Amino acid sequence: MLTPTDRRDAVPTPDALADLLQAVSEARDHAAFAALFRHFAPRIKAYLIRRGVAPGQAEDLAQEAMVNVWRKAASFDRQRAAASTWIFTIARNLRIDQLRHDRDATSAAMPADEDAEDIAHDIVDNSPLPCDHAASAEIGLGVRAAIDSLPPEQARVLQLSFYEDQPHAAIAEALAIPLGTVKSRIRLAVGQLRQRLEYLKS
Amino acid sequence: MSTHHPADDLLLSLAAGSLDRASAIVVSAHLESCTHCCQQLELLEAVGGELLADIEPVDMEIGAFSRTLERLDQPVSVAVAQVPVVRPDLPAGMHWPRSLDGCDITPWKRLGPGMRWSRITVPGDPQANAFLLRMAAGMELAAHTHGGRELTQVLYGAFDDGRDVWRAGDLDDADGEVHHRPVVTAESECICLVALTGGRTRFDGFVARALGAWMGI
Ligand SMILES: [Zn+2]
Repeated sequence: MLTPTDRRDAVPTPDALADLLQAVSEARDHAAFAALFRHFAPRIKAYLIRRGVAPGQAEDLAQEAMVNVWRKAASFDRQRAAASTWIFTIARNLRIDQLRHDRDATSAAMPADEDAEDIAHDIVDNSPLPCDHAASAEIGLGVRAAIDSLPPEQARVLQLSFYEDQPHAAIAEALAIPLGTVKSRIRLAVGQLRQRLEYLKS
Repeated sequence: MSTHHPADDLLLSLAAGSLDRASAIVVSAHLESCTHCCQQLELLEAVGGELLADIEPVDMEIGAFSRTLERLDQPVSVAVAQVPVVRPDLPAGMHWPRSLDGCDITPWKRLGPGMRWSRITVPGDPQANAFLLRMAAGMELAAHTHGGRELTQVLYGAFDDGRDVWRAGDLDDADGEVHHRPVVTAESECICLVALTGGRTRFDGFVARALGAWMGI
């Protein structure tokens, strides 16, 4: 059903993605969910694989992430975050929970009971969100422009931070620069992003 | 209001989901009381979401969508009611950070005159090295430097380390380059949430050495 042609389709606009997510939330719309699945599931799977998850498990977790999208859609607030941001945090938290779950399973030397494991997996809630109370930063739409305005070496550090399973020390090694330089590039990049967004808002 | 915030690299690691659990708990405790850093985190999460569009997709398996549809209707199991957790006492008016939800926290143990500590066990991460430190008003720690990275979120009271005063809501990020001598201010006792990272050097700092001695390491 997902052919290479499908995935070359134009990337839906942020507004279109938010509309789809809202349709899932309000109308439990299967067609909208299918469109979200087509766009996000293969990207979530790719993300998980890049973060070191085995392909089979990445497939399963990507499906589970989409199940979470369906179930939690009511908590999506388009005033507050882009659909891609909201879905990214679901995938990210799922991976964190999975790491924890794997470690638990390894440290508990008991044979895993399949049913118990399924249940444990289902009830896992995403990591507590410390920022529920935050006033919305209203950052959705300008982010792409802000990222594109970064010098390539700063954008690269952000890209590696999110989409490679590398701590900052390993990024320093990969780019053959000192750790301090990675940190200062991060500081510069974040400062620029913020400035640029402030500018776009005003 | 906090005046000392986590560095951008910590917030970026948190946003990316790659911060170790102990540090994540301390930084999250900071975020609970800092709108400024929450906005920063939301910006970074938006970057993560935006960059997701750039990733080269990996095809899902044939039938993945219909299998996902089947999973939608499976009943969501409800979490079993938690046994009420026993936690050590706190000064009146102080609340536990939500980032410690689910963690096991030992009763206060004496570490020396005017100094107590409590170990935090993070579910799913026995390696995580996090603890609470409770020091009496006016109490002075010996000068020390840190091996590895020491993150300290002040939860109650304040300390002055010669660089500045660190009050409730402030986060201190100290590494091997910081040499300081914290003194708890006179008004009240001070409670800090601390995470130590940095591999085998993590027991080099003063606090860590004291803890190490207590734990027999
Ligand atoms: Zn802050």
